[in-house]
Amino acid sequence: MKKNSTFRKSLTTLLLTVFTLLSVQMPAMADIVSTDQLAYEQQTQTQREAVKSFLSRDDVVAQLVERGVDVADAQQRVDSLTSAELNALSEKIDLLPAGEGGVGLVIGIIVVFMLLDIAGVTDIFPAL
Amino acid sequence: MQPASFHHLTLAFLFLLMTGCAAAPQSAALLQQTQPHANLPASVLLDSVPFYPQEEYQCGPAALATVLQASRISVTPEALVSQVYVPARQGSLQIEMLAAPRRYGRVTHVLPPDLEGVLREVQSGRPVLVMQNLGLDWYPQWHYAVVVGYDLNAGEVILRSGLIRDYRLALSVFERTWQRAGHWAVLVLPPGELPLQASETTAFDAVSAFASAQSVEGVSDAARAEQADAVSAAWRAGVQRWPESQMLGMGYGNHLYGLGSLPLAAEAYQQVLAAHPDYAAAHNNFAQVLLEQRRLEEAEMHARRAVELGGEFAETYRRTLQSVVAAKAR
Repeated sequence: MKKNSTFRKSLTTLLLTVFTLLSVQMPAMADIVSTDQLAYEQQTQTQREAVKSFLSRDDVVAQLVERGVDVADAQQRVDSLTSAELNALSEKIDLLPAGEGGVGLVIGIIVVFMLLDIAGVTDIFPAL
Repeated sequence: MQPASFHHLTLAFLFLLMTGCAAAPQSAALLQQTQPHANLPASVLLDSVPFYPQEEYQCGPAALATVLQASRISVTPEALVSQVYVPARQGSLQIEMLAAPRRYGRVTHVLPPDLEGVLREVQSGRPVLVMQNLGLDWYPQWHYAVVVGYDLNAGEVILRSGLIRDYRLALSVFERTWQRAGHWAVLVLPPGELPLQASETTAFDAVSAFASAQSVEGVSDAARAEQADAVSAAWRAGVQRWPESQMLGMGYGNHLYGLGSLPLAAEAYQQVLAAHPDYAAAHNNFAQVLLEQRRLEEAEMHARRAVELGGEFAETYRRTLQSVVAAKAR
């Protein structure tokens, strides 16, 4: 058993060395924009559009106005959301039931993002 | 506490009513059309599609085996259980349902939420995997089935579903249950085929997911070559349908580059650039191919253009330009 694990360890080391050498010798691969990168960029774009179209829905606009959020401002802020934030938001939007129950929650998140963006967390939510 | 729960009850009741009256707009539109549908015959039944009566909760593997068999992959529901069935949830996740066919060399395409489109696919001989919520939004009963036919005169859709081989269901009822599952409809196709209704974006998503699933370790050279051919065929079909597509063209070019087919990759990137002369990523990738082909003057021109245009991947563009300049200095 012990022998086996020593063998494994040295095999791992060997493989690691080989892979490292290989990756050093193939810098060319790194210089194209990969399909995965493009897919990721595209996904972010799609999510941005989804969030924007959510923000232009009549019921959503009404709720934003109710909370004193400037709609044009909110739309503009979507451009500065990071892909992680977009991901979180559009996931929430996707999960919204056909009814309107969850809209308030998503708008709440949007407002929080906006506030974070404008003033920084500690100014507004000292508890956080 | 009591008023609150009473309130909830009222809400639930109202919601029930609402759901009960929920419209099935697509079915209504389909059935109201008095004129015969262009290329959509009144009834179709794909009788040769196999049927696997499902075990309890295992509609996922059964439905998946049905569509895989229909695309000429011989696999049983039992073999799929470990891949898509989650015992704790007594069901299968959509994402697993999409992933499993890729392991069998099939491309999964999510269809747009269009009922007529689904029927058109069936009419063209392709059974469609669908998800339904047989319950209600707040009490979901998820179910997978396969659309194998329809009868517009009777206003019915025909499914391989549960224990019934030809389950005839009113189109409007089907639409509501399908709508409650987010209009989820999926085609499982051999690489090289595309849905009738597809967009550049959905085709890209389908093919790129298929391509990443194929590049797995631990298969023989022969199997790898076969996979590479399958991926080529999938990209090529996309590029042929949308010759001006940025994303599909890049995907195809990158795949060819990965295979070491420099001339073909160059051709693919050039085709993208012909339609999108200001697309930085295409300039960059083309420059890299030109560099490896030792066409350094052209490589420098495209690398510089990419750096000029900049954008999301500016760092990569600068590196490409550096290596081109270094190659020239040598």
